[in-house]
Amino acid sequence: MLLEAKGIIKTFGSFRAVDEADLTLQEHELIGLIGPNGAGKSTFFNCLAGDALPDGGSIRFRDREITRMAPHDRARLGLARTFQVPIVFDGMTVRENVMVGAFLRRPHRHAAAAKADEVLAFTGLAEQADQPVTTLGTPGRKRLEIARALASEPTVLLLDEALAGLTSAEVETAIALVRRIHESGITLIVVEHIMEVIHRLTQRVIVFQQGRVLAEGSPADVTADPRVIEAYLGRRAGRHRP
Amino acid sequence: MKNFPRVLLIAAAAALVAAPFLTGNPFYQRIAALTALAAISASAWNLIGGYGGQVSFGHSVYFGIGAYASLLAYTKLGVPPIAGAPLGVLASFALSVIVGLPSFRLRGHYFSMATIAIAALAEVLVTNWGFAGGAIGLMGPASPRSLADLLFRSALPYYALFVAVLASLLGFTYLMQRGRMGFYLRALGSGERAAESLGVPIRRYKLYALLVSGAFTSLAGSLYAVMVGFIDPGSGFGILVSVNMVVMSALGGAGTLFGPLVGAIILVPLEETTNALLGGGSSGAAYVVYGAIIMLIARFSPGGLAQWWPLLSGKGRRGAA
Ligand SMILES: Nc1ncnc2c1ncn2[C@@H]1O[C@H](COP(=O)(O)OP(=O)(O)O)[C@@H](O)[C@H]1O
Ligand SMILES: [Mg+2]
Repeated sequence: MLLEAKGIIKTFGSFRAVDEADLTLQEHELIGLIGPNGAGKSTFFNCLAGDALPDGGSIRFRDREITRMAPHDRARLGLARTFQVPIVFDGMTVRENVMVGAFLRRPHRHAAAAKADEVLAFTGLAEQADQPVTTLGTPGRKRLEIARALASEPTVLLLDEALAGLTSAEVETAIALVRRIHESGITLIVVEHIMEVIHRLTQRVIVFQQGRVLAEGSPADVTADPRVIEAYLGRRAGRHRP
Repeated sequence: MKNFPRVLLIAAAAALVAAPFLTGNPFYQRIAALTALAAISASAWNLIGGYGGQVSFGHSVYFGIGAYASLLAYTKLGVPPIAGAPLGVLASFALSVIVGLPSFRLRGHYFSMATIAIAALAEVLVTNWGFAGGAIGLMGPASPRSLADLLFRSALPYYALFVAVLASLLGFTYLMQRGRMGFYLRALGSGERAAESLGVPIRRYKLYALLVSGAFTSLAGSLYAVMVGFIDPGSGFGILVSVNMVVMSALGGAGTLFGPLVGAIILVPLEETTNALLGGGSSGAAYVVYGAIIMLIARFSPGGLAQWWPLLSGKGRRGAA
């Protein structure tokens, strides 16, 4: 097992945003995490990445207990993530942003720059390398976050809605990118709420609802599950389905 | 042709550094020394406040520690004031660890407010500390006992000393800026969560920056005391001492190598000449001028003058953000 989360609970006041959620991830898998808005997917990601400390449960990564480990130590262990709302380093160029990630395993400037250029080429951002990062729009920023995370040479990459808000052409490039990342040997969890995208990318999907795992399985099984249909389309649609 | 502006720049810089030696006017020489000194503390502030984005309004506490260390060493131990400088640096390290580390948990404005409180507290404590001269302060040697007292009639030896310290600080900053530490500081300054997620141990890097920043600010305080030969709670720990560093950095460009120096070159001569014209001691006017400068920068040019530099040099690399 590469990554294993058991009984994760995260509360905000009296509200349980994540309510005893489990997840297992094998090496080289690419799994999807779906669920309606507010289901707790990002909060769950934050617990995995160390951005939020869970109020219950445990997380193991590469045979180590990491439940309360700081985010930067998890990154060093090989856990990288992107944010649903991209956070770029203003005042830096695109390349410099990626170099921040590259410095994790390459302390020397030239090695970090070389790694950054390699990743920028891989993610299709090479042409924008010398631009201020503030010139990038949302699709560019999402790609930049992926590039930055890749530059840290992770084992597992957590993508939080990396494809949301993209045009259909941009979605195609993004899907191709996710596939190439997977082929390069990186294990991925992809949060997405477009079912079609998940269908095309993954063999295994976890469906979240109200902080709990509602269903788990192949995309086809999961989309046929009445509980999932109900969660997505509302009570009525679920109940009246023949 | 590509190197033309750079050659010109180096020539202009060399001329600027040499100018005080060429003028025979002691008033200008003194201004040059004070400018170099202000550039040291502003450039030191810039490490944590500019690159690291942790805006301290309490750096006077380091300046005061350095200044008092010098004159305490002289008055209590009878050693040359400059011998107190290493003690000041050691005290600054201790302060950075004891006070800096916990305050790094605070973000944004809360960090700035905590630094103001710490400096204000230090000023009150020293004012009530009879051993350190209380509200009256401490005096340096009245006449040089030896060369080590660094007591000169001319401002030029001080100027040379300050420029040497400034050069080594800027040299450090240059190397830092190019390397991992510079990238990490800039990253955590603009997005802590993202920086952490990329493996940046943010509190450790803030501490590194604060250690160096505090040490050089303390050194600036010691040098000030050595040159001026007098320190009191206000000139060591007062809020204006901190504001000076912030405004100079912000004016020239916080988080840039030469920004604080440019700010000092503009503000110190301005301050000294208006003081001379208005008969000195007009710190009230300084508050007004600094307030106006802060508002103008915030409104029109958050990147300081450095923001306009790419336009002038035709590079347009940073872009107006
Ligand atoms: N920092 C927070 N404080 C309070 N409530 C939060 C916080 N973050 C998320 N929530 C709440 O937790 C729930 C889950 O949010 P989130 O994890 O962002 O869902 P998802 O990513 O699945 O859309 C939502 O109801 C949201 O309002
Ligand atoms: Mg979300």
